[in-house]
Amino acid sequence: MSSRRIRTARRFAATGAIALSLGLVLAGCSGGVAGGGESADNSDEPIKLGMLAPFSGQEAAFGDYMKFGAQLAIDEVNADGGIDGRDLELVTEDDACDPTAAVAAANKLVTAGVEGSVGGYCSGATLPTLPVFADAEIPMVIPAANSNQLVGQGAFMINGTGAQQAEAAVEYIKKVGAKKVAVIDDNTDYSVDLADSLEDQADGFEVVKRESVNPDEKDFSANVNSVTGASPDFIVWTGYYQAGGLLVNQLRGAGYDGPILVGDGSVDAQLAAIAGEDAIKNVVGTFTKTPDMLEGGDEWIADYEEVSGGDAPGPYSIQTYEAVKTMAEAYTQAGGTDYDAVVEALQGLDGFPLLTGDLTFADDGSREGGGFVIVEPTGDGGAFVLKDDLEG
Amino acid sequence: MFQLIWNGLFVGSFYALVALGYSMVYGIIKLLNFAHGDLYMLGSFLAFVVLGGVTGLFGLGSIPILLLVLLITMLLTGGIGVLIERVAYRPLRSSPRLAALITAVGVAFTIEYTVRQIFGASPLVFPIRLQGAPIEILGARITMPQLVLMLVAALLMFLLQRYVMHSREGRAMRAIALDQKASLLMGVNVNRVISRTFFIGSALAGAAGVMAAAYYGTIDFLMGFVIGLKAFTAAVIGGIGNLYGAMLGGIVLGLLESFGTHFLGGQWRDVFAFGFLILFLVFKPTGILGERVVERV
Repeated sequence: MSSRRIRTARRFAATGAIALSLGLVLAGCSGGVAGGGESADNSDEPIKLGMLAPFSGQEAAFGDYMKFGAQLAIDEVNADGGIDGRDLELVTEDDACDPTAAVAAANKLVTAGVEGSVGGYCSGATLPTLPVFADAEIPMVIPAANSNQLVGQGAFMINGTGAQQAEAAVEYIKKVGAKKVAVIDDNTDYSVDLADSLEDQADGFEVVKRESVNPDEKDFSANVNSVTGASPDFIVWTGYYQAGGLLVNQLRGAGYDGPILVGDGSVDAQLAAIAGEDAIKNVVGTFTKTPDMLEGGDEWIADYEEVSGGDAPGPYSIQTYEAVKTMAEAYTQAGGTDYDAVVEALQGLDGFPLLTGDLTFADDGSREGGGFVIVEPTGDGGAFVLKDDLEG
Repeated sequence: MFQLIWNGLFVGSFYALVALGYSMVYGIIKLLNFAHGDLYMLGSFLAFVVLGGVTGLFGLGSIPILLLVLLITMLLTGGIGVLIERVAYRPLRSSPRLAALITAVGVAFTIEYTVRQIFGASPLVFPIRLQGAPIEILGARITMPQLVLMLVAALLMFLLQRYVMHSREGRAMRAIALDQKASLLMGVNVNRVISRTFFIGSALAGAAGVMAAAYYGTIDFLMGFVIGLKAFTAAVIGGIGNLYGAMLGGIVLGLLESFGTHFLGGQWRDVFAFGFLILFLVFKPTGILGERVVERV
């Protein structure tokens, strides 16, 4: 028996070695290419904008939402004459919401000669790509990913950060008068970050339980049991909707019928479908405004559906649209795609008008204000609609 | 407290069902079939398709329909298991075990990404959702579907035990586990018995997949990965290759997770489960019931 174990160990070691050497080869490639991309400042060529988003894996649904949002913005910019006569062109790569795949995909974008990055959905996958783009002197505007760890790394963030989202959640919890709050995360960067921020900012209530689940599992009964054991009167889930739906369902099954607040990663109509009709009652989410909550949103949705071939916009469609618009504005102000000039222009934006509100970047690259509101899944087919804009 | 035990038993019975297939295959041909967890996933997707085919019968109440679907799915996944063995493992039976192991990993990826191509990457909502009002027993909340699923799992394990321990074919399996060459010389049709083993093991994994899908409500193409690892852990804890060991290991792992999560926090659930795997591999690689080599299946 024991000799077999040792052989098994060797097998794993061998696989590891192969994976490692593959990694080295990839890293080698990127080093060689980073230098070459600089000279591509050809005035007739389109400006390539790279976008990393998940087109496969658990989060695949968001990739298309983001792609069509970006494409719409690009079409609009090009229709207006582009940037000093140069058209914009979108280049997408699949990061599968996986850090390893994301770095490889980022290197691919650098190789393809992109001059701006307007992607980034999963914070965990986006984080390791920042140095790749920064080394290649490619300015970054991140539409969706919003972990606090992304702040201050040279990237500009359209979405509010975890801290800003936690602020909105805290405000809502105080508003409903809950006292004992349980916070559940899914162990990903984004989720833990949001949960940490919430715990730090807790004010007027107490975080009685902090729990983490493994989102690849289906059974959370052990976690649920430990949460309900602390008898909370408010539960916050900071992970994504796939595990979130199951968790909401199992919390209800364990007899918890109080309010549940979910973070923006769970704000998706699928949450209601997975949780089930009864379980989804009394669930709210924190989210930045979506097109259907905005003035003039209908028109935007109609334009979007023309690009997407009829599919309705989803979470982060509009943020990605705005990321492209912001990048285009920076190119225009900088008079080209020179890295330092573009970054300076982004930093200099002061109240740049966007659908989700005026945009100003703080010194660390995060968006001032954040603009989070409270939504609830009471729309058609469990779609989230505005419940409370937290203003007054 | 009883709630913790109940949760552990419930999750453990799923682990046990999947672990049985792992353990049987290992017992007979000494192959760690890493594609086993994916047969669990495949079971849930096949049930999804079969359910789509019998939508007309929906009004008849969900549990009888589900049992019918369960049966059909078991036959299908069993058949696929046999096919996998025939195509991917049999040609390698006399090669070094490393080759077969790598093939098993390859089979696992093939199944996962084929399913992804067909059904997409996003999780699908299973059309039947088994949920009922809970009854309180000794302070634990127990629902009817949980009871039914556990009974089905127990019944399947009981039938398997009868089959392996008290039938002619079962004796042939045990004989091959002990000594494949000698069994061949004694006139046992080794290939057929191995096929049958794959059929049964895969059918059990498929059954667990259907039950999990109906209970938890969503299916996705990677759902077999974690449970495959957990089932492997359960098989090792119980004593890999041992029929009772797999059942016991599943239950023990379920209870360990349930109690571990309660006392250490959910962050530690997997650390706890796989930590035990390492402890067992180091200190008692034959598992709890490992000594009873004679009863290996």
